[in-house]
Amino acid sequence: MSRNKAIYVIMFCLAVMLQLTIVRYIEILYWRPDLILIVLVLFSLRLGPNWGMSVGFFLGLMQDLTSTHFIGLAALSKTVAGFISGSLAGKFAARTEYLLTLLISGLIHDFVYFFIYTLGENFSIQSLLILYTLPNLMYTIILGAFLNYFLEPYLQEESQ
Amino acid sequence: MKNILWLFTQRRTLLLLIFYMTLAFILMGLNDSFRLRGMHIVILQGMSWVYGLKGNLTYLANIETQNKELRKQLLEQSIKNQKLQESMLENLRLRRLLRLKDEFQYSYIPATVIGSGQEQAIRSLILNVGKKDNVFKNQAVVTEQGVVGKILDAEDDFSVTQILMDRNTLVSVRLQKSREVGLIGWSGNLWLDLYYIPKDIEVESGEIVVTSGLSQIYPKGLKIGIVVEVKENDYELFKQIKVKPAVNFNKIEEVFVISIPDSLQQEIVE
Repeated sequence: MSRNKAIYVIMFCLAVMLQLTIVRYIEILYWRPDLILIVLVLFSLRLGPNWGMSVGFFLGLMQDLTSTHFIGLAALSKTVAGFISGSLAGKFAARTEYLLTLLISGLIHDFVYFFIYTLGENFSIQSLLILYTLPNLMYTIILGAFLNYFLEPYLQEESQ
Repeated sequence: MKNILWLFTQRRTLLLLIFYMTLAFILMGLNDSFRLRGMHIVILQGMSWVYGLKGNLTYLANIETQNKELRKQLLEQSIKNQKLQESMLENLRLRRLLRLKDEFQYSYIPATVIGSGQEQAIRSLILNVGKKDNVFKNQAVVTEQGVVGKILDAEDDFSVTQILMDRNTLVSVRLQKSREVGLIGWSGNLWLDLYYIPKDIEVESGEIVVTSGLSQIYPKGLKIGIVVEVKENDYELFKQIKVKPAVNFNKIEEVFVISIPDSLQQEIVE
């Protein structure tokens, strides 16, 4: 296994574990970052949409299985996020590529998630957007920017 | 055949996307399947065991500090208890005078929060107590600050609590000063919404909202929160009241499940 792949596997495991354990302690009001999305975008940008959506599906499925609500929703939204991130590789300037991709993928991810979750129910989508999606995404982007800054030197050598 | 082959080679990414999306939709459709639900429960039980282990280790590490703190609290509570006993005796005497019936006796089952739903908007808490500990569906969950929610689902070793800030929660409540009864729920905002309080009722910010005792789930008089905003429109019959929950749902670590008498249990579960 190449060094990069080993780093990715470690990152995936860590992201899932931390999402389940630590993240609820760093919540601000009701807002929490999505560590799995951060790592997924980092990975998809380097290995393309096919790997991105495959890994997104399995990470989402793990998230589904460890949550109390219905299975398949996070798998679907993470698959879409992985696909979008992989497809956006090389579309932006290198300096802003990760953050812009995270922003676009995150928005689409949340839209897919909440659209299906609230389907057929009288629930304010504007409230969800203002109170959850955007603050969550900002939190995720800030944390993602830090992680990308620190991990980039290690991941650059073998990237495709 | 040629077209299909071309589709597979040239549109691999698209086909893969369709494949995973279909798989995800199939999984969503199979959520009520017994096997899938069973597998889900096994995983959650595994997580519950791991969280329990972690909790025990943390508990052992903090036991000395906790012990000192608890002894201090014990002393304070003992003094408070003496005063309460006096009040209880007085209350008993007065109740006898008024010939009021005794209320049901509740017991409290301590529980630790070992996880929470991963969803961003609709959250639930996983507790380390279940049917083995006499925890059943629709029992109230509280902290010393106030009401947390109710048991949504109980398995043998763990249970899931639906918190007040869930869009499906609706609780019958009473304003402490005016004694007016309303319903409290959450519509996705920062605070809870108190419904059906008529405009002619005087409500001020800072007024305490408690459970009404009209439902069989929540005992009477448990604190729900404090009124933070009162508005009214000319074209509406009721006031628009926002209530700040008494419990900080982000920081909950330990809770109590209110165990009801066996005679009522069966009725409520049904």
